[in-house]
Amino acid sequence: MSESALMRPAALRSEQGGSTRAEGDRSFLARLVIAALAFALLVTIVFSLAAGASDASLVSAITALLPGDSDVLSLRDSIIIYDIRLPRIVLGALIGASLAVSGAVMQGLFRNPLADPGIVGVSAGAGLGAVSVIVLGGTILAPFIAIFSFYALPVAAFFGALVFTLILYAVATRRGQTSIATMLLAGIALGAMALAYIGLLTFLADDRQLRDLTFWTLGSLAGSNWPKMAAAGPFIVSALAISPFLARGLNGLALGEASASHLGIPVQRFKRIAIVVVAAATGASVAVSGGIGFVGVVVPHLLRLIIGPDHRYLLPASALLGASLLLLADAVSRTIVAPSELPIGIVTAAVGAPVFLWILLRRRGIVDL
Amino acid sequence: MISVSNVSVILGRKTIIKDVSFNAQAGEMTVIVGPNGSGKTTLMRALSGDLPFAGKITINGHSLSHLKPWQMAAMRAILPQSTSLSFPFTVREIVRLGLTSGRSGAAPHVAADLPDEALALVDLAGFGGRFYQELSGGEQQRVQLARVLCQVWQPVLDDQPRFLFLDEPVSSLDIKHQLIIMQIARAFATRGGGVIAILHDLNLTSMYADRVVVMHGGRVDCVGTAQEVLTDDRILRVYECALKVGALPSRQVPFILPQSAVM
Repeated sequence: MSESALMRPAALRSEQGGSTRAEGDRSFLARLVIAALAFALLVTIVFSLAAGASDASLVSAITALLPGDSDVLSLRDSIIIYDIRLPRIVLGALIGASLAVSGAVMQGLFRNPLADPGIVGVSAGAGLGAVSVIVLGGTILAPFIAIFSFYALPVAAFFGALVFTLILYAVATRRGQTSIATMLLAGIALGAMALAYIGLLTFLADDRQLRDLTFWTLGSLAGSNWPKMAAAGPFIVSALAISPFLARGLNGLALGEASASHLGIPVQRFKRIAIVVVAAATGASVAVSGGIGFVGVVVPHLLRLIIGPDHRYLLPASALLGASLLLLADAVSRTIVAPSELPIGIVTAAVGAPVFLWILLRRRGIVDL
Repeated sequence: MISVSNVSVILGRKTIIKDVSFNAQAGEMTVIVGPNGSGKTTLMRALSGDLPFAGKITINGHSLSHLKPWQMAAMRAILPQSTSLSFPFTVREIVRLGLTSGRSGAAPHVAADLPDEALALVDLAGFGGRFYQELSGGEQQRVQLARVLCQVWQPVLDDQPRFLFLDEPVSSLDIKHQLIIMQIARAFATRGGGVIAILHDLNLTSMYADRVVVMHGGRVDCVGTAQEVLTDDRILRVYECALKVGALPSRQVPFILPQSAVM
């Protein structure tokens, strides 16, 4: 013991300063990856502005993003870019970030890389809230709409997500240990329950509501506009802004609830905050775009393979990669069958579900499900 | 000083420990021994603030019931029996978590190097880049000890002693590393901190303990030095095992060989 301590005296290492990085310290790599992802998001945004059924060009897209003289754009390009593509891209980026971050937070909270709002029924709960407002907004829920007006849809989705997360936590967690099997099965039960109610509400819906519901169930960014952005944006932006402050607690929780508390983290209060953040992010995203699956489980998982599970880096990296991936998926859905478009939920599920299976296979040897 | 007076813990309807009282001084190693199910771990969890209890526990005069988690984290660090992880952390990332409370007591420019220093201390120099989940049980336990040491790196901070709680710290270690870990605990006490450890090994107990607390059926059977406490009669009564306690002539350190059992 003394010998190994002598071989690497502390004084020598501290003199070497920041130039040498200790073994197993991935923070430098993580910062590098975050910078690269930020750049990638920027590029994705520019190309998304230029991509679509209409032919507004890359040059006009870049011009639109730069401050100053916008007269150079033709009126048509200006409408396409400012009023159609830009709100959709801003909302798409926010929703992608929010899905990935709520996935990462939930996985940290449940100490389980398979926990994702979409898979464990939380999105279904948000959907239940949203559909209730769509269908019953004119009748039973009219007072609710009167109170929250503009924000009724995201608020209802938020409460749906919150209630479902709380039920899930109560069912699946005993003394700070989450049973993987119980969590996934409880998620299936909650999802089925929500679908049953959504089915019932669909049965009650009139024609106009039905069209809203169908479009919403498949998951789509097609209805994005500035008013929707204004309704859901505050929820998503606040959730994203709070998430960096969850990193320390989530890292501690990786050791288990008792050890996290021994490290000085007020675990019960922390869990309540994290659950509200997940519900806000999931609720607002689902309210706008319906069920876009698998972003929340795939993005954090890929990033853990590269930069490790330290949430100080995992959360911002997830936000950036989630935003880019959703914008790419949206660009695919807008162009692959142009001039018509595919619901984005189909694209993310087609790519995400196989990746999810791959994660399961990788874990099979390590953890008994 | 940690003072435990008349502490009882009731889980469900069962009284697990009853009327437990003892003091653990700074500068000393206090070892809790007793057979399986005698309430050692429950006592440790009550001390750690994990369980509601009746009675009173104070750390350096502060009542445990009034301390916030981050205040407790600055006064004591706790080594659990075992820790499993669900994410692929490297060894160094785990040890660094010990710095979470920000009260290691090391100077800021040294703090960044503490994880490596702590790893060297537990004989795991060069293991920083390995994945925690790939290590053996004994190596994992030493990684956790390195993490815990980072949390209270200076045994005395702001003139107040700090404490290490070790729940069976050597249970999965080979004999070399058992001795290394006990030496680390010993050194922590010598430098002014306090150590409370649960041990099953009565010989390590008699070698290192300044004070032994014998638990039996949820109560404290007796408190004293190893010589006072480890006697043939008590071992027969508490462990229900007839063993002959020997004594090394030079230092009067009792030793107990399983070979001496009269079965």
